[in-house]
Parts: sequence; C-alpha cells; structure tokens
Amino acid sequence: MLQCIFLLSDSGEVMLEKQLTGHQVDRSICAWFWDQIISQGDSLKLLPVIASPTHYLFQVVREGITFLACTQVEMPPLMAIEFLSRVADVLSDYLGSLNEDLIKDNFVIVYELLDEMIDNGFPLTTEPNILREMIAPPNIVSKVLSVVTGNVSNMSNSLPGATSSCVPWRKTDLKHASNEVYVDLVEEMDAIINRDGALVKCEIYGEVQVNSHLSGLPDLTLSFANPSILNDVRFHPCVRLRPWEANQILSFVPPDGEFKLMSYRVKKLKSTPIYVKPQLSSDSGTCRISVLVGIRNDPGKSIDSITVQFRLPPCVLSADLSANHGAVNILADKTCSWSIGRIPKDKAPSMSGTMVLETGLERLNVFTSFQVSFRIMGVALSGLQIDKLDLKNLPSRPYKGFRALTRAGEFEVRS
Amino acid sequence: MAPPAQSQKSASPSQPSGKGEVSDVKMQLRQLAGSRSPGTDDAKRELFKKVISYMTIGIDVSSVFSEMVMCSATSDIVLKKMCYLYVGNYAKYNPDLALLTINFLQRDCKDEDPMIRGLALRSLCSLRVANLVEYLVGPLGTGLKDGNSYVRMVAAVGVLKLYHISASTCMDADFPAMLKHLMLNDKDAQVVANCLTSLQEIWGLEASASEEAARERETLLSKPVIYYFLNRIKEFSEWAQCIVLELVAKYVPSDSNEIFDVMNLLEDRLQHANGAVVLATIKMFLQLTLSMTDVHQQVYERIKAPLLTLVSSGSPEQSYAVLSHLHLLVMRAPFIFSSDYKHFYCQYNEPFYVKKLKLEMLTAVANESNTYDIVTELCEYAANVDIPMARESIRAVGKIALQQYDVNAIVDRLLQFLEMEKEHVTAETLVLVKDLLRKYPQWSHDCIAVVGNISSKNVQEPKAKAALIWMLGEYAQDMQDAPYILESLIENWDEEHSAEVRLHLLTAIMKCFLRRPPETQKALGAALAAGLADFHQDVHDRALFYYRLLKYNVTVAERVVDPPKQAVSVFADTQSSEIKDRIFDEFNSLSVVYQKPSYMFTDKEHRGPFAFSEELGNLSIDTELADNVVPAQRVEANDKDLLLSTSEKEDNHGASNNSSAYNAPSYDGSRMVGASQAQQDLVSLDQPPPANVPVSLAIDDLLGLGLPVVPSPAPSPPALKLNAKAVLDPNSFQQKWRQLPLAASQEISMNPQGVSALSSPQVLLRHMQGHSIHCIASGGQAPNFKFFFFAQKEDEPSTYLVECVINSSTCKAQLKIKADDQSTSQAFSALFESALSKFGLP
Repeated sequence: MLQCIFLLSDSGEVMLEKQLTGHQVDRSICAWFWDQIISQGDSLKLLPVIASPTHYLFQVVREGITFLACTQVEMPPLMAIEFLSRVADVLSDYLGSLNEDLIKDNFVIVYELLDEMIDNGFPLTTEPNILREMIAPPNIVSKVLSVVTGNVSNMSNSLPGATSSCVPWRKTDLKHASNEVYVDLVEEMDAIINRDGALVKCEIYGEVQVNSHLSGLPDLTLSFANPSILNDVRFHPCVRLRPWEANQILSFVPPDGEFKLMSYRVKKLKSTPIYVKPQLSSDSGTCRISVLVGIRNDPGKSIDSITVQFRLPPCVLSADLSANHGAVNILADKTCSWSIGRIPKDKAPSMSGTMVLETGLERLNVFTSFQVSFRIMGVALSGLQIDKLDLKNLPSRPYKGFRALTRAGEFEVRS
Repeated sequence: MAPPAQSQKSASPSQPSGKGEVSDVKMQLRQLAGSRSPGTDDAKRELFKKVISYMTIGIDVSSVFSEMVMCSATSDIVLKKMCYLYVGNYAKYNPDLALLTINFLQRDCKDEDPMIRGLALRSLCSLRVANLVEYLVGPLGTGLKDGNSYVRMVAAVGVLKLYHISASTCMDADFPAMLKHLMLNDKDAQVVANCLTSLQEIWGLEASASEEAARERETLLSKPVIYYFLNRIKEFSEWAQCIVLELVAKYVPSDSNEIFDVMNLLEDRLQHANGAVVLATIKMFLQLTLSMTDVHQQVYERIKAPLLTLVSSGSPEQSYAVLSHLHLLVMRAPFIFSSDYKHFYCQYNEPFYVKKLKLEMLTAVANESNTYDIVTELCEYAANVDIPMARESIRAVGKIALQQYDVNAIVDRLLQFLEMEKEHVTAETLVLVKDLLRKYPQWSHDCIAVVGNISSKNVQEPKAKAALIWMLGEYAQDMQDAPYILESLIENWDEEHSAEVRLHLLTAIMKCFLRRPPETQKALGAALAAGLADFHQDVHDRALFYYRLLKYNVTVAERVVDPPKQAVSVFADTQSSEIKDRIFDEFNSLSVVYQKPSYMFTDKEHRGPFAFSEELGNLSIDTELADNVVPAQRVEANDKDLLLSTSEKEDNHGASNNSSAYNAPSYDGSRMVGASQAQQDLVSLDQPPPANVPVSLAIDDLLGLGLPVVPSPAPSPPALKLNAKAVLDPNSFQQKWRQLPLAASQEISMNPQGVSALSSPQVLLRHMQGHSIHCIASGGQAPNFKFFFFAQKEDEPSTYLVECVINSSTCKAQLKIKADDQSTSQAFSALFESALSKFGLP
C-alpha cells in the first residue's frame, strides 16, 4: 500500500505530490531523499528501495524525472516499482515524452491520471487503452475538437466501454475507417566478448510489438515457424494460454493501438554480426590503442548506426585518436565515442591513436570495456520467424504488416 | 500539496511568495462565482489551474477555500476534478469550511453521469474530517448498490476510508457485511478486488477487538472463498491479481492433491507480463511446497526461467527488485542455479548495487565444474576502473577459494593480483591471503614468497596493513627480514593512526620474538614501551599484559600468544540459517530487499490496535543497540562449535564492523579453537581461579567464549512466585527495556495445538495472564506475532520483561528476557516456557 507519490525534477524540485491515504506524508521527505542523491553523486547510483527515518521509499528514474513513492507498511517491492514504471510509461504515452516542462504544463492531467490509476494506495488500472477512454490525452486533435465542438472538457463524458466489456482491455464498439495491423519483432542482443575474441555470453531479448487498428472484436492468431527456439516467454494479458501450451500459437483479442504482445529470451547464440577488436599496448607512459571493426557474420541486411564507445581510464591525461572512417569524439566526462554508421565496402574501419598516462605510470593498469551499438533492420537475429497471422471476426479484409529489427543491447567488448 | 502548517512559503527565491497572487486570485474567483455568462468556465478553469499549481509548489492557498467552493457549481468535469483535488487537500485542516463542500459533493453523488457520481464519492470519502462522517454513510450505502461498477468500485474503497476516519460509524452501518456480499457476488472483478482489500484491512484491525471479525477474517481464508477467487483469477486486473495471490499464499491446503490443483491453476501466471504477478505466484508456489522436498525443488526449476527473464527485461530498478529475490533463492539452493552462472555476469553499465548482488550470486553458485569460468570472469572485474567493484570482485574470488577444495588455480590468481601494483587491489588481496592461510596453512610457502616482496610502505589501509603484519608475525621464521620490517613499523609507531594495526603490531612482534629472539628483542622492547605509553586503552592493556606475561614466564607466554594453530574449517557465516528462513517466509516483501526479516526493521509499521505501537518500535530498535554493547549476550553464543556463531546478535555485531570474517585474526582469536585454549590458560594465570561464581561468569562473558554454561553452584533458587496483580505503565516498561541488559534469549518450539489456537494475539494474552504474566503490547498478523510481556515477583518489586516473537507457521517462539534481578532470570525463563507450553492444551 503506497501512501504518497512525488514527482521530482532533475534538480530535486517537487513538481507534483499525490497523497493517497489518510496518513499525510510530509514533503520534507523529498529533501531528505535529495540529500541522499547528492551524497551519492548520481540518482542512478542510489538503490531503488531505501529506508528513510520515517518511510520506505521506492524510486524510479525516467528521463531525469524521479518518481518517488513512500510507504510505512510492508508490501511487495516489485509491485511498487512496477507500478511506478507503469506510471512513467503512461505519462510519457500521454504527454508524448517525459520532461519537466511537459509535466508542469499538464499537471492537471497527471493528477487525473494518478486518480484513476491508484486509489487509497492500491493500484487500479494502468492499461493505457482504458485510461485513454477516461481521460483524453492532451493532443492537438482534442484541442481542435474542443474548439470546433465547443466542448471544452478534455474528458469523455461516457464511462469507458471497457469497464462493461468482457474483454477488459478493449472497448466493444471500435470503428476504424481502414483496418490495419502491424506486427514487429524487436530484438536486443546482449553480449560480452573477451579480449581474445571469445564469446563469453550472448543472448537475445525480444519483444513482439503489435499496433492494431481493427474494428469490432477481432480474434487474431499468430504462429511462428520455429517457436522451439524460445527459452522463456511472457505474455500480454490478452493472450490465451491454452493454445500456446498446446500448439505454441498466440491467440488473442488485441487491445486497440500499440502494445507489447509477448516478450521472450533466446539463449546461447553462437555468433555476433560484427566484430570489434581493440588492442592496447603501453610503454613508458604512453599507450597505443587501435580498434578494428568489421562484419563477422553477414546477417544479409545492412548494419547501420554502428558506434563504439568507451570511457578513458582516469589515469589517462590526454588522448589523441583518429579513425579512417566515421567521427571520433571525446566528451567532457572522458567518454570517447566513435560513430561509424555503416561499414563501407572498400575498407575496414579502424580507429587508432595514443593516450598519455599520468606521470609515474609506466603502463596502463586497468582494462576498459567497449560498448558497441548497432541496428539491423529487417532481421531478427535470434532466427525467430513469423509463420502467419490469421484474423477472424472482421468486416473487411485488413492490411497486415510485418517488420523486424535487431539492435545491440548490452554489447560489451573487453580489452 | 503540503498541508498549510508546513508549507514552504519561501522555499526558493524564484518561487512567488504567494501572498499577493493568492489574494488576487481570490478577488477574481469571487467575481466569477455568481456569473453565468458564457466563457465563465474557461476563466474559472484558468484560475483553478493557478490555484492548484500554487498548491503543488507548496504555497498555502487555503485562504481561497470558500471562493473555490462557491465556484464549484459547474457542469464542467475538469473544473470539478480540480475542485475535488483542492478540497481533498485542505478539508482536513479547515473542518468548518469543509462543511460547505458537503452539499455540492452530495448533490454530485446523485448525478446521472456515473463518472461524476464516482468522483464525488471518492472526494467525499477523502475529506477525512471526523465530524462530517454522518454525511458519508448515506452516499456510501447508495454507492455500494449503484448500478454502475465504477461507482461500486469507488464505494468499496470508500468504506475503508470511512473506517479509518471513524471505525464505529463504519461498523454500525454494517458496511463490512455489505462489502462481503459484493465481494462474493459482484460481476465486476475490480469491485470484488477492492472489497477484498478493504475487508482484509478492516477485519484485520477489528479482529483483536471482536470475536466475530476474527472469525470473518478466518473465513476469507476458507476453502470456498479461496476457490472463488482462484476461479475468477483471470478476470482480475494485474494489480488485483497480486492482492488475490497474496491472500491465497496464506491459505493452507488440506492435502497434496489440493496443492497440485492450485499450482496447476496458477501456473500460467508465471508467464504474465507484470513482474509483480510473477513474483506473487512464485511466492505461493514456494510456500505451498515447503513440506514436499522434491516438488519444492521442481518448483525452483520451474520458476528459474521466468525469474531470469524478468531480470533481463525490465528497467534497472525492476531488475534490482527481482534480483534481490533471485539472490535469496540462489543462496538457498545454489546447486539449482549453478548451470546458469552466466546470467550473473556483470555488465559494465549496470549500477553498482546490481553488480554487488550478482557477485554474491556468482560466489554462491560456484562449484567444481564452473569455478574456472567464474573466477576468470571475476578477475576481469578486479581490473575494473570502478574501485568498489574491483574490491568486491576480489573478495568474491577469496570467498570462492574458501569454499572450494581445489584452490590451486585460485591462489595463483590471487597472487597475480598482488603483482598488479594497484593499492586497493593489493589491500584487498592481502586480507584475503591472510584468510586463506588460516584455512589452508599448506599454501603458506607460495604465498609468503610473494607477500614478502610487498613493501609495507605501499600498504596504507588499516585492514590490509593488519593482515600483512599478522602474516609477518605468523610466518616470522619463513620470512628472512620479518623482524626488520616489523622493527621499521614500530619506529613509526606514532604515525600509525589505527589502533587495530597497533594491536596487531604488538602481537606480531611477540610472535616474532618467541621464534627469533635475538633479532627481535630490541624491537620488542621498543614496541612494549610504545604500547604502554599509548593513549588507546586496548593497546595499552595488551602491551601491559604481554609485558607481565613475559615477566612471569616465557614458556607460558608462548603458549598464550603463539600456540600451535589448527586450520579454520569454516568461517562464521554472516547470517544465521534461522534468519534466512525467516526472510524466505517473507518472500516478495521488503525483507528480501533489505536482507533482514521484517521484525528487524518494520518498526514504523502501525501494528494492531494498541495506542503506543510507535513505542513498541522504539523498543525493539533499542534492544538491538543494547545487544551490541552488553557483553552478556555472548554467553548464549553457540557452544557446539566455536567457529560457527549463529546467534543473530553476532550478525549485528558483524554488520557494525562490516565484515567480521575479514578481521585480522588475533583478537578474533576467541573464535578459533586454538586460541580458546590460550584463553583458558589466561584465566588460570590471572589468579587462582576465584571461588565465587559471579566473577568467573563475568570472565566468560568478557571472553565471549560461549563455554558450556557453568553449572550454577548457588543453591537452586526458591520456586519463583509471581504477583498476579502486577502493574507497569508502558513508559516505565520502555525505559526498563532500554536500560536492562539481555538476561536470556532463546528459541523454543511451541506445541502445534497452542499455535493453532493462536488465531489472534488476544487468546494468548488471556492465557498468560492466568500465569501472572501480563502483556503490555502485542501485534502482528498470522503467521508472525510479537508480544511484550512483563511480570513481577510476588514479594518484591522486581520485574521481568519479555519480548516474544511467535511464528505460527514454524511453531517457534523466540524469547528475549530481561530482568531487574539477573540471578533469577533463569528461573523466570523456565516458568515462562512452561506457561507458554501449556497454551492451547485443554
């Protein structure tokens, strides 16, 4: 049971306060909390669950905004954290993105949303589809509408249809002029590669994202060509579990709009699409560095947005780095970022240069690790393939679209 | 929305002071109040927004209350919402003005739009003004019967709000019975869920006062109700599912078939997208199968994948919450996770708190087949730029070395660390090498060769320095220049700020002297002289003690200071298994995140109906503090194995100096078998063993040896008689509890009949009263109850205080007894136990 929720800006200012129970939580708790953050130097370093002298605090940080919840009673910590994350998701969904100004401009909507999401400390609904029917988002359309119709309320006058429907995530009488549904496979590759090039760990976390604009109460079935490669799956509440258990078929009535149908993990992949080979050698106070990047395993589609990032060790005084392709930037916090983009056909990109070490230090005694990011459109690297998507209960033939995307998640190369 | 009393009027210079603006707004609102011209609503809306934004930044706008209420006659729903928000915030502090709002809220409760009815009812219940409750009963009653589920849903929570404002009004209006009816019959799942949360809380709080409520609370856990919820589980929203699962976890199925039915029904919840649901389900599975060992293990296998997916899917905050639970499971059953060790590899970008948990798990799952990989991975971290991370990983390598029998490769790695020539790495490694040598003396040859090359000048951290000095003393005969290194350290005695290091220096030079007297004699003299002049009491005493010992007899001194040592087989665990079990019982709660059972930290919890529950909290904090300082606590240290101290007080002790396992050994010698020998000698050395028992008891206490309890030579005390009409007011109880040392602490098993009779704390209170033991405070819910008892001697005002924590699921009771008269505490303890054991028997 949560007692109070605060929204703090990135300077620690209380932007919003929502008391949930009869017990009033004093604002001074935020000052205490902010002191903790300052003592840690960074809000990301502070534990998500901490005990203050009077309350237990849960915090979630999104885009510089801290969502802080207080309670005095025992409760499942994950429930509080999940809830705060959902609040953040819903707000960024409503406001387009999340930042201090947006929240301050729309604080009434934020209050309204919180009012419907949690009552007396217990979460009610966080399903964006339902919320959107109760509280209209502050978008341009509704502003125009209100001017045209003269109805200034940004809130629909009827109750959400979903509250009376048998499918709680969807209202019954949806109508779309064009019926369309898009299914995206979005995968992230997490990998750790050792300094001798060996793959320490490589796995894929993937999501099936659906964007549905379908009229009526459609019934969808989605099947995969090779569901056996999935290690563990989690579903949106709309997925019926029996057909999955029996035949690994996803059968569901979709909510309207965008949602995450399923997430999965694929373990023990054998190779990565690109290689990154850093080499460091140091001698009498300077360190030579060279990093080679190239395609290891051609995925068949072009790999773009390749960047390699690493943090210069604290003992490096200065660095002089250059690349034969792409741009190298060294930021104020000693992060060095090499953006390559696409790998050209005619040469292998390489970056090289020298780093001057602190006086008294002969050779570099720490290892840095290189974070690699890339993006491949059109391929799901796990090899997961959609077999077919069937739609039933539809007045007209819908348009179906499929896409796939793989990007690097935590892709780390050690030197 | 700070309440007016604490509003930050001048929180920052950039914020408007408020005064002028507020009166401005007040004027404008007053002008608008009566107006009906078109566009009024827009103007009002702007003003309301302004008022609420002032409220949000903490300016006190309570002065416009009446104007706000006057303007609230509107059909615009956003205006209404803003007004509700405002009223809800200030009504509590302006009860007189709040009366103004009742009228329009009651009218809105009859609006034809269900949304407005619901919102108005919610605001009405959120006013929380005690003298307005009479106006709540009517709208709530109609709200519960409303045709629209949204209104019923709001009303169900409203009942709980009413209960907190005025419990008697709520009970008199018979709302709980109406809620129960709704809960079992409403077709809307959210209404059902809200009824459940309200009823759980109301009956939970009422249970202590009324038998009926206690019975009702029991029926919530009865088979038909539980099955009703289980059958509807898929209708509930994800959050309501968490609440239902929490309830079901308290249900005790009658046989194993039922357990399997429940588990089969809920298995698909493990694939839910919401992590909170998954974790609640896992908790249920674990609790249900506790008694079935092999199924329990299968459950672990089954929940492994969902947990690992949860870790990798969410944000760092979610990962952390899941990881702390995973951590608990890994610690309980490392072998099940040993093939998944790669999941615990740390990523460079992860926050330190996540990495730390992962390191502990890596340490736990290490076994013969994966140790090589894990240690290789850990060595990567040791060279990490992040210093705390590097330290933790070296410690992890050390822990693995202490767990494994084949430490060959690991020792080599550790020694490589020493060659990295980084101060923090060297420091950590030295501490570890010292621990390794205590366990595996056979490695001394290899280690000493490397350690000998380390210049003591490069070691600055006290712990590391102490470890190095210990090794110099312990292996003085193997290290050529040990006496000279020690000598140079002694020359810089005054620059050594850490008392710990100076203590070690004294002991090391003694050992060195006993082995290589001619080379060390001069240094020893200097050390003893410096030690005697030391301002630190312990250092001074140790120097004096060595000096007298040497004067008395050098061979005795050798037996005391440098006896042959036995290798340490197991280092003290930092947490007792009993505590771990208790945390496990509280799976999916804050306990897991803090790695402490809730009774150790949830003192802020409002606990039961007793008025001074706050003080209860203070009490138990104080006990822990007291435990740390009172030496008597050591008496009850486990006497089976001196190395394994499992009492929880030890943990606190360990926690306070951060890593008891890594203290350099000599003062901790009390924990080592060899040293205990020495200390017994010490007793006999001192004086002829004193005949009077209290002194010898005191010595045992001081040494903390936990020797088998000295048989009490005093004539057994006369049977203790207690005063049946003892009185003690809570304040003096609290004071005494804080002052008195702990006389006894034990865990006893209760008979199952007794535990099953313990439906609410009250039953036990009455029972104990029959034995002249009175309760001063009690609280908790099944399965954990906590009581504070007191009793007085019949003939004199000597008081006994007891803290008793009963876990009804494990049938265990934990007692902490304090007494004015320590000598009779044993007798009292026995009396208390016998009284407790009779509980529940006919």
